[in-house]
Amino acid sequence: MNNTNRAANRLFLLTVGVIVIILGAAAIAVGMLPDVRSAWTDIAPATASEVNRVLGEAATAWIWYALLAGLLLTMIVLVAFIFRQGHGHTGRLVSTAETAAGSTIIESSFAEQLLASALRERPEFVSAGVSTYQVRRRPVVKVAITARRGVSPTDVVDIVERATTDLDSLLGVQVPTLIHISGGFRSRTTSATRLR
Amino acid sequence: MSDITASYSRILRRETHSPRSAPAITVAVILIVACAYAGTEIVLGLLGQPPLLVAPDDAIGTVAGLSDAPAAIVAAAGVIALLIGLALVILALAPGRRAKHHRRTDRSAVVVDNEVIASSLARHVSHAAGVGPDNVRVGVTHRTATAEITPASGLPVDTDAAREVVRAQVEAYALTPRLSSRVTLAKHGKVGA
Repeated sequence: MNNTNRAANRLFLLTVGVIVIILGAAAIAVGMLPDVRSAWTDIAPATASEVNRVLGEAATAWIWYALLAGLLLTMIVLVAFIFRQGHGHTGRLVSTAETAAGSTIIESSFAEQLLASALRERPEFVSAGVSTYQVRRRPVVKVAITARRGVSPTDVVDIVERATTDLDSLLGVQVPTLIHISGGFRSRTTSATRLR
Repeated sequence: MSDITASYSRILRRETHSPRSAPAITVAVILIVACAYAGTEIVLGLLGQPPLLVAPDDAIGTVAGLSDAPAAIVAAAGVIALLIGLALVILALAPGRRAKHHRRTDRSAVVVDNEVIASSLARHVSHAAGVGPDNVRVGVTHRTATAEITPASGLPVDTDAAREVVRAQVEAYALTPRLSSRVTLAKHGKVGA
């Protein structure tokens, strides 16, 4: 539900993967294919000493600084990429258009607390968490339920939808809702449901 | 309202597929460390200080002298790199489906972990078949729900009732992708219990 750029993640993994594959394939070729091996012996050392000679001259010292700048830029981009993951929470649930009497704004935390307190006391649930995300420029409420072992998903949906319907009538608008029902460690270690 | 439908399908798609954040962040961190190291060596080289591990020009020389290194080691390193690269490409291209099912109701979108479906089915099967809850094992995969009942010695097991209840439950959940159900009786029962 967050707005992680998944296409960017996959493109990044693909790019790095392809580069690593090419390097690996090159190393295998140098190691295993006699032709490539002898060609490498003929060309590479001479090229390397030429590169080192050019880089060693005072006139070309700028190349090192350019390299450094490139490395720094890459690191900044990568750090930005890491911190781009996640996000997408919103604090604003409803905001109506401005009228003569002013406008109405409802904070997400209002709905979150209301739903969470209604759901936490249910014996069918180990825990209930409510958060609000911005999806396609529209606030969407996410209700994350950890159900007790054996509780039917339909019962969970019924209980949660009763709470969201109450919220709807309280707010006067219907906010899109995602119900996420998970099991997980806490559900496994707490007692099973006694309900039928 | 079609706008809401589009939002819901986007949400459901994203909730049931991996964002690939963990591998992407891991690779990014490794690259950042590598860049920082290379930068440090370059700065040390420029200042005329001794290198941490290898000076930049020595590194270039080592790559050039790759064909003088033992062929087996070079090839083995290449194979390892190839496998890592392949793993990254697979991560990038595979759908990364999570063990979850989803459905739309009139009011909301629902995502359910397979584990929750399995434990609910297990409870219903144990009730319908008249066996203890520990004697039912349910596995839920992307397309199938399989319940295996281990009969306790001397007690009848109502397999038909179990079948019926599993079918009815799976239908009631109305999940996507659709689940087909199967109930089997373990060949070997248990004594007592």
